[in-house]
Amino acid sequence: MSHNFRHWPIITILTIVSLPLIIMFAFQIIDTFTTHPIDSMIPNKVTFEQFSFLWDEAETGRANIWQVTLNTFIFATTTAVVVCTVSMTTAYALSRLNFPGRRYFLGGLIILHAFPTVTLIIAIFLILQIIGLYDTLLGVIMVKAALELPFGIWIMKGFYDNVPWEIEMAGVQDGASRFTVWWKLVLPQVQPGIFALMIFSFLSGWSEFLLPQVLAPGNDAQVLSTYMTALIADDTKIDFALFKAVGMFYALPVIAIYLIFQKKLMNIYGGGTKG
Amino acid sequence: MKNFNWLALGFLAPALIVITVFFLAPVILTGIFSFTSMSTSTGVTGGEYLLNQSGIRALADKGLNTATLDQLKNAGYVVDEKGLAALAERHGVATATEMRKLHENGQFSSRRDMERALKSLKANKIRSTKDRKAAAELFKHSLLNERFPTESKFRTAITEGGIPLEDHELIVTQAYTGWVWTVDNVKLLFSLPSTLRYAGNTLIYVTLTLMFNIGFGLFLAISTFYLPAKSASTFRAIWFLPRILPPVMYVLLWKWLTWDTGFIATTLSWIGVAPINWMLDTSTHAWVVVVLINGSFGASLGMILFSSAIKAIPSSILYASEVDGANRWQQVRYIILPHLRWPILFITSYQTLSLLTSFEHILLSTEGGPGRATEVWSLAAYHIALDNYGGNLQYGLGATFAVALVIIGIIASLFYLRFFNFNEMVAKPKIEG
Repeated sequence: MSHNFRHWPIITILTIVSLPLIIMFAFQIIDTFTTHPIDSMIPNKVTFEQFSFLWDEAETGRANIWQVTLNTFIFATTTAVVVCTVSMTTAYALSRLNFPGRRYFLGGLIILHAFPTVTLIIAIFLILQIIGLYDTLLGVIMVKAALELPFGIWIMKGFYDNVPWEIEMAGVQDGASRFTVWWKLVLPQVQPGIFALMIFSFLSGWSEFLLPQVLAPGNDAQVLSTYMTALIADDTKIDFALFKAVGMFYALPVIAIYLIFQKKLMNIYGGGTKG
Repeated sequence: MKNFNWLALGFLAPALIVITVFFLAPVILTGIFSFTSMSTSTGVTGGEYLLNQSGIRALADKGLNTATLDQLKNAGYVVDEKGLAALAERHGVATATEMRKLHENGQFSSRRDMERALKSLKANKIRSTKDRKAAAELFKHSLLNERFPTESKFRTAITEGGIPLEDHELIVTQAYTGWVWTVDNVKLLFSLPSTLRYAGNTLIYVTLTLMFNIGFGLFLAISTFYLPAKSASTFRAIWFLPRILPPVMYVLLWKWLTWDTGFIATTLSWIGVAPINWMLDTSTHAWVVVVLINGSFGASLGMILFSSAIKAIPSSILYASEVDGANRWQQVRYIILPHLRWPILFITSYQTLSLLTSFEHILLSTEGGPGRATEVWSLAAYHIALDNYGGNLQYGLGATFAVALVIIGIIASLFYLRFFNFNEMVAKPKIEG
């Protein structure tokens, strides 16, 4: 497009405004693998010492990094599976089945979507304390999955809406039940959507900070985000190289997944906000 | 075709359960909590009755007369089992038995009377005055610092203590340690000067961040549109990273950039600028950083949506404009921007609501500081109810703050439903329709 325009002025301006981000990302990578003199930013030695938190014994009072990573993985995976399973059926019902009050369900769904964490978390905090799931991974997983659900349903509904009606009509015409039609004909059509939602919920769970911080502050149910926050909040030693190394370890799966599934995820990042 | 509704019910059931437990219940409970005095010290489930020093002081402030206050502090002397057991331990069982015979359940309002009662012992005299005084103390029945599990037990105790009946209500209310129904939270909300401050902060935060999001999102979308595919995707990837990175990690990078040992401070020290904390030095610094952090995060959303909207513009229009000699600015002004009207409107309304309620990045970066310069409404609700320095978490007041947000959220979403053509989204199913 527009070949009679020059590119370099735009590139220059874009580079200048992107400079803070570029510097941050560049030094994030440089600093994790090198050391530098105190009042300089230029590295003078390559090292892997910053990653020693991975194999050294955990300090007293701090959780073991591998346990924390496992927690994070369980948290993210379970959340993703629950969100996908529930959204799969609910979204189909909302998209294709007729039942009384359907309009209100859809309207309600959008209103739920507008309820942010902060308006619910105080009550959820007390509910979990009363039912005894406070400070457990299970409790946080349930809450996270529930809060992701309106979004998941909305996305899945979008995918179902795009499946041509003719497929189902043909199935029903041939005598299949609606359930069979859904299971055998429609689900394969929305498989990419389910997959994308799965990845998206996984990433969202992996990155979640507020819920574990409030609902499971103990060491047993710690996830990487709260582990890292506790590390940074510890005033006694401010060691950005260590923070960045932990951050690298934490963010690497996210970036890898994103790079691999970029195209699929874009469907959600772009489309998820249409509601 | 009758069983369709059953299928729908089955399909909806899991979501309905989850939504009831984690959306409806919390929303209703938040509403309920906002009219209670619930906090860490009152507990959630219930309370007991306890008068302590600060309770007495509060009662004095509420105008309870001094005589009653003194009575509460030294509620008098009762010859009861507890006292007799203590007496038996100190002066022998015989003394206690005689005391029981003479004065069982006797009540004395002053120590002098109690000592006189002890003097009346014949067979087992307590001889020294000092011992008698000490023995009298054994029967002392103070209401202070004593816990009563139920209201009736507490009322019995103060009746026995000789407290005038007309003061009972006030004392019972004061002594209750559990939560009570109250509209004080709402009153506080409207009377505290900090409320206005939080509202003002929120306004600043939402306005500035929104402007940054929309303006910069537009700039990114339009400028990368004119670039060759490769450099365009590079810049888009750079600006998309803040959205993908976990917030804790993303904010850490900003901390590294702005802290007094961080990048800006170090680089500027080479030209002789004394290092300061560029994130927290003054409230202006804090605001700039907060808006940049949230803005860079939010701009990516605008960038994506605007980019796809621009791509949807028929290229023939753009080619035609070029043939007609339009320069780039004219192209943007008269072709691209008019086509982006709906996406811009959408992002504005969507992000206004998200920004009103989002505080994660502020919590992780400035924590509302310096002072309370960047404490926005939602962060205040979080701090009051779930994380404050005093340690007494005020669930009730926090819930009131949250309810204000819920109300705004509901109004806004009803408005969106009208605005963004709800009927089209809920078009009827075609098979059984």
